[in-house]
Amino acid sequence: MNVRRRLILPLAAILVVAFGALAATLAVGNSPALGLDLQGGASVVLQPPDDVDDTAVIDQAIEVIRQRVDALGVAEPDITRQGNAIVIELPGVEDQQRALEVIGQTAELRFRPVRAVIPPAGTPGAPPTTAPLVVTPRDEDVAEAEVTLPGEVEGDEEPVLYQLSPAGALGRDVSDAQAVFAQGQTEWSVLLTFTSEGLERFNQLAEACFNAQPTCARGAVAIVLDGTVVSDPTIQEPQFASNEVTITGNFDEEEAKDLALVLRYGSLPVQLEQESVSTVSPTLGSDSLRAGLLAGALGTVLVLIYLIAYYRALGLVVVLGLCVWGALQWSVISYLGASQGLALSLAGVTGIVVSIGVTVDSYIVYFERLKDEVRAGRSLRSSVDRSFKRAFRTILAADTAAFIGAFLLWWLTVGAVRGFAFFLGLSTVLDLVVSYFFARPLVALLGRRKAFTSARFLGVARGTARPDRTPAGARP
Amino acid sequence: MKGANGKRRGPLGRLYHGETDIDFLGRAKLCAAVSVLVIVAGLGLLVARGLNLGIDFEGGTSWTVPGDVAVEDAREVMSSFGVPDAEIQVLGGVEGEQLRVQAEPGADREEVRAALAELAGVDSAEVQVTDVSPSWGSQITEKALRALAFFLVAIMIYISLRFEWRMAVATLVALIHDILFTLSVYSLTGFEVTPATVVAILTILGYSIYDGIVVFDRVDENARLLASSGATTYSTMVNDSLNQVLMRTLNTSITALLPVASLLIIGSFVLGAATLQEFALALLIGLAASAYSSPLIASPVLAWLKEREPRYASLRNRLEGRGVPLVATGGTTAAASPAPADEKPELTTVTNGARTRRPAARPAPSSSAPITPRPRKKGRRR
Repeated sequence: MNVRRRLILPLAAILVVAFGALAATLAVGNSPALGLDLQGGASVVLQPPDDVDDTAVIDQAIEVIRQRVDALGVAEPDITRQGNAIVIELPGVEDQQRALEVIGQTAELRFRPVRAVIPPAGTPGAPPTTAPLVVTPRDEDVAEAEVTLPGEVEGDEEPVLYQLSPAGALGRDVSDAQAVFAQGQTEWSVLLTFTSEGLERFNQLAEACFNAQPTCARGAVAIVLDGTVVSDPTIQEPQFASNEVTITGNFDEEEAKDLALVLRYGSLPVQLEQESVSTVSPTLGSDSLRAGLLAGALGTVLVLIYLIAYYRALGLVVVLGLCVWGALQWSVISYLGASQGLALSLAGVTGIVVSIGVTVDSYIVYFERLKDEVRAGRSLRSSVDRSFKRAFRTILAADTAAFIGAFLLWWLTVGAVRGFAFFLGLSTVLDLVVSYFFARPLVALLGRRKAFTSARFLGVARGTARPDRTPAGARP
Repeated sequence: MKGANGKRRGPLGRLYHGETDIDFLGRAKLCAAVSVLVIVAGLGLLVARGLNLGIDFEGGTSWTVPGDVAVEDAREVMSSFGVPDAEIQVLGGVEGEQLRVQAEPGADREEVRAALAELAGVDSAEVQVTDVSPSWGSQITEKALRALAFFLVAIMIYISLRFEWRMAVATLVALIHDILFTLSVYSLTGFEVTPATVVAILTILGYSIYDGIVVFDRVDENARLLASSGATTYSTMVNDSLNQVLMRTLNTSITALLPVASLLIIGSFVLGAATLQEFALALLIGLAASAYSSPLIASPVLAWLKEREPRYASLRNRLEGRGVPLVATGGTTAAASPAPADEKPELTTVTNGARTRRPAARPAPSSSAPITPRPRKKGRRR
């Protein structure tokens, strides 16, 4: 009884885990996130020139792109950095050409004098409801124009709007920016260093603002990156003699560092190159998906038919095992899709189809081992344990090698190969789990049932090629 | 599959019961010659002509247009954009045809897209575009090659630790064989090399390693038995091991092939999905290469290396002196799991004391001999 319980327990556990997870996934309504090549959309790989290797600057570039993509209203954009390259995936985007154009523009940092600041309606200091101000569209937001731009917001807040004059200085006028906590001061500030030409331009701005001329009625200069006012420090001197300008303003460390980063990013003309662009129409995408699924289903059915024909009842164990494996696979992929934005690409589907072969192979190794043992004169019942132990050693060694391979591929490559490697690695791990917690106890339990081992059409003994007429357990 | 004890079975029956006695090692030289021939021809052509690399590696633009478009019309359109030598291909499929146009970098992506869409009478969003810069292409290639190098090194280390370095070398030889063989086929046939091809080749390496490890695991096990019995040479033992796992190898190849074949059939005949087709083609070539290299390249290399070890060299000398037949002797010589199940996989357990023991001079049983019962083992877990 004890032995039986030891076998039933893991079996029950994995069934509960696998189908519980599947039920939960279905109940929540999760399903695997589809990659671009399966649902249509656009994908771009952008890369900075070789001499830009400041990762913080690249991260800032990604941040800019993220904001632009959000503004486009793409449902589930996926923006990742792979090495130095920025990979942007826009599934289901309607106007692909426009999306690509918007993303491809280089973000420029501009210093604009502030004419007026308008708090959002409904807050103290908001103007009585007159004609609402319209934010200048991106196309019209050029350095020479007067514009109305929003400030930074968090979440769904209404932004403060800024009416701004033409830009007086640009990002290339900045040579450096650092967050500093200078001695004798009580708070963080940003030390902004201009080029000598830049300082001249900035001083013109400063003079106008210090005197509160109409172009700069508020006496402040807005620092604008990519259509958003990041900061609007008030000018406190008409002329800056040194090219080092300090920006203060109750910054904490993080705010100061963020502002310094924006300025530094703006100082580099990070001209991102479009290294690779691909667009997939939704029709072609769903065709590919259908073909992949169909091929997977057909392949699985053929494999199962073959295994049942060859191993009889043990083949049925494989069918059940693949169901458990499939339930786990589906749940894990759906979960990763929902939580990590992991998208299933055509390469990934292929990886899964291919890994059916790998998974089935574990059973074959086990069953062939079982056949060997039975052939050597052992009873099925006593062979089951030994052969699993030996077979699992082999499976473990082989799966480890396969996993090492998949991991390295995932780690070292980009694009299609990466997606493929991920799913292959995942399948390898699931394969180990299923063979240990499912195949082992199930076969052991079945091996103890006489009806199962000797039934005419399902006979495991036949499937395991027992030498004829040797009664079970007898030894010559 | 009647075969009562003592009666000779048909070839399929013997296969099913693991009683084959194919002389794999004896055919190794012939196979090596065939492989070398294919590889030399393939690499020769590779040097002369190069591979047909897809745009993902070389850079360029590709447009895929749904609908029934004549190749000549598409060529005319491309000529008007100054790209008369664009590569134009019709991708079939039951659900309608697609036309794929590929050009070197430089053509205006969007204008060509619009023109082709107009030609096919579809919305320009329906035209699938892939545009890759040459530098990105070379990065992809470089990354894939680097990953491959790391992959091979890591596998070598793993097998050396788990088994021994000779098996690692044998595996490496087989893997390099698989890669070169697949490359040669691509070079000889001029099939296009795409990222899908690279993925497929890497998968095959995975299979090949998996397959090799299953064989070597059995060899490793039988080697321990051999160390105490000294009944045959190492080569014979390897050959027996191969026969013992032959059915596994065949089953695995068949079950690996079935999904790939369905990818190929669905991908090329039913739905015309180009990517699936590329995957399946490379997988098919590679699976064939690896199914063949594991018994016929890796194992002979291992036997050759091991026979150079003094221990096994002297064993061979002794056996040859006694006139024991050294050919293959059937799969049942060393029956299942002779090693105690809980023995740790230590490679150094083969003691030299085995050599002093007189080898049992029993003749190797032929395939038709009654099945030798394996001795009852102590120390079984209960």
